[in-house]
Amino acid sequence: MPGRTIWKGYIQFSDIIVPVKLHTAVHQDRIQFHLLHKRDRVKLHQQMICAYEKAPVPPEEQVKGFELEERKYILVGPAELEQTGPEDGRMIEVHEFVKDGQIDPVFHERMYYLEPDTTSKEYHTLAGALKETGTAGICTWTMRRRSYLGALQVNGKILCLSTLRYADEVIAVKSLELQKTSLSEKELKIARDLISQLSAPFQPQKFENEHQKKLQALIDKKVRGEKITLLRPKHLKPTAPDKLLEALKASLKRVA
Amino acid sequence: MALQEIWNGTISFSLVAIPVKLVRAVETGHVSFRMLHSKDYSPLARKMYCPKEEAIVPADEIVRGYEITPDKYIVITDKELESVSPERSRTIEILEFIDIRDVDPVYYDHPYYLVPSKGGEKAYRLLVEVMGQTNRAGLAKFVLREREYLVAVKSTDGALSLITLHYSGEILPGEDLFPKEDKIEAGEKTRMKKIIRDMTADFHPDKYADERRKKITKLLEKKAKEEGTVEAPEIEEEVEEGVVDLVAVLEESMRKVKEHR
Amino acid sequence: MSKKIVDAAGRRLSLSNLNKDLYPSYGFTKAHVLEYYRRIADFILPHLKDRALTLKRYPDGTEEEFFFEKRCPAHRPAWVKTAEVHHKEDRMTVCLVNDLETLMWVENLASIELHVPLARAGSPETPDSIVFDLDPGDQANILDCAKVALILRDLLFQMKLECYAKTSGKKGLHVYVPLNRKEATFEDTRRFSKAVAEVLQRNYPELVTAKMAKEQRTKKVFINWSQNDPSKTMICVYSLRAREKPVVSFPLEWGELEILNKQGDPDKMVIMHSDAVNRSEKNGDLFREMFTKKQKIPYL
Repeated sequence: MPGRTIWKGYIQFSDIIVPVKLHTAVHQDRIQFHLLHKRDRVKLHQQMICAYEKAPVPPEEQVKGFELEERKYILVGPAELEQTGPEDGRMIEVHEFVKDGQIDPVFHERMYYLEPDTTSKEYHTLAGALKETGTAGICTWTMRRRSYLGALQVNGKILCLSTLRYADEVIAVKSLELQKTSLSEKELKIARDLISQLSAPFQPQKFENEHQKKLQALIDKKVRGEKITLLRPKHLKPTAPDKLLEALKASLKRVA
Repeated sequence: MALQEIWNGTISFSLVAIPVKLVRAVETGHVSFRMLHSKDYSPLARKMYCPKEEAIVPADEIVRGYEITPDKYIVITDKELESVSPERSRTIEILEFIDIRDVDPVYYDHPYYLVPSKGGEKAYRLLVEVMGQTNRAGLAKFVLREREYLVAVKSTDGALSLITLHYSGEILPGEDLFPKEDKIEAGEKTRMKKIIRDMTADFHPDKYADERRKKITKLLEKKAKEEGTVEAPEIEEEVEEGVVDLVAVLEESMRKVKEHR
Repeated sequence: MSKKIVDAAGRRLSLSNLNKDLYPSYGFTKAHVLEYYRRIADFILPHLKDRALTLKRYPDGTEEEFFFEKRCPAHRPAWVKTAEVHHKEDRMTVCLVNDLETLMWVENLASIELHVPLARAGSPETPDSIVFDLDPGDQANILDCAKVALILRDLLFQMKLECYAKTSGKKGLHVYVPLNRKEATFEDTRRFSKAVAEVLQRNYPELVTAKMAKEQRTKKVFINWSQNDPSKTMICVYSLRAREKPVVSFPLEWGELEILNKQGDPDKMVIMHSDAVNRSEKNGDLFREMFTKKQKIPYL
């Protein structure tokens, strides 16, 4: 079952308008844990605690503040924040198109399926045009008083809209301060051969969340009162830099 | 910027093992507000609270529970959790390499960066270079805290990024959304393709800024000028014993110094 | 390149570019720098001994670019003493300046400033002293530092701790509390210095800040307690500073500091190379207690 419709709007660029409905594309079902008090296993709740009184504060006594300097806040009321919200509109405005593969996955936030709304001809035409040009549309729109940056893409015959992170939300690689190291042509070549040997098509259905099943089994065991054998995590010994070429060669031998 | 380490271990492919740390790749760019108490403007903090004892519960008194029947729990310890997939909690083992362009963006969940630990710089650089040149990404499974993730490790701007992927079972089928295909007018599609080509450029995300964030910043500047700030009471930091004595002694000594000066 | 072979304590050392103007606005050449360090050697060497030296080299003089060098240069003569130290996860070989010939060799590399950690290379986790690095913010000067130093001295004295002050050679003052105890740890010295800095900030909010943030330092003296860290270094007492003029980081007696504070002339707290040599030869090493005085951090 596809997710429910969460919003309706129009894709627009040049003189083209395509009415669409947004649907969620992902549903996660994961084992949920709760936090308990150790001594009596009472379920704990998160509370907003006043740092001064060390006591919970009810929602009606909570206000928003922006810390200008230590302990000094500018108070901002809900009405004022409301004013800064963008005007809700229905237009998903495409500003430009970029070649597929130009948007690094680190920018991707969440994806929605698009369903044609009222008429489907333009929808299919757009899907076909995007596919044949190998492009994605960079667009902006406003939904629930938030402005979004996104990518309009085609997947099979379906149009999809991904929300993208703004550039200043992605940490620049520069700030990781990675060291430059030089590599020999030989190391590069062997590594290329090895990776090509280890390559396979992307088949996500091959991978199941085994962990979730094993975790469920462990819980069931505990419920039945059976003993749990504890296993220690496996640590791998890092390959020493001067043994890298050797390890690559041995790897290649193993797979070739 | 100091990047906080979320996890550390090794990433491996075939017989090569590289020591790495996992760090964040994104940070929220929203203007960050603090919740305050309207009575005295002291800041509020999210804490775990016991409704029965009506008290804040310190971290060492909190355990993880799984609800078997309403209000009945069994406790799962960290060790037990780690024991579920012991081979994956400290190792990101690349099972195979794939063409990153084959991964539909619907699979992307959350991005991180990997950075090399001491001694791993060279092998790390090798993996970055070769995956970058060949558009490959390593597919691996690994366990972070309570969950196991399917992840793609790829080369991003000269670093390794790690993208957690949704399992295929979590992806909702999209096909059902679509009524029968309408006939596409070839002429209209050709016209649309021309418009798309005319509008094609390189991806420069920094061209787009969050307008709302700008407006909030403006609002704050205006309010700071016109209304000024409120002040929270000074809160003594909770300090360990011993230091309490030191601070008390220092204050007492300070008092004496001031008397004599 | 002009070269000259000299004899330093029986070892042959080749000195280069002796006429190079290292302080061009003042007219102070590499030969002058070497001569300063030769004359101050008896005073500075005990303070450099067995400490991992960080070289701060000014190959083209104090008005051009410099670079820090923590590793002992690989092209060192065989007789230069070194130590292996661990810095975070790095291991490296550092120079120990334990004798005149090494001091001359280091100066021949134009390492005008000599920076050393608070611990010796053999016991890198054991600080010999606590330091309070008094650094004036914008619109504050060394006289404000002197005021803070005098309050700090009184406060420490109340806690039965002796302390010693020197000029930084730039705009600030450094106050040291010798410990010379095996059980001292950087965790303790950091905790103590932070608590002291915060008490001073609470009591003299107009004059003192314990916060690193630049905007909080305007018109105030920043007490940099975070220097009490195994990875940090301080300018060594008697070291030249790379400014326009050859100024020295020089010890001052508390009585002198009180007088200078009353006179209110910041320029009188600038100790030049020649004063440094003359005063040291006359008064001896005012920092000699740094190696001998055993003191315990109270209430930790």
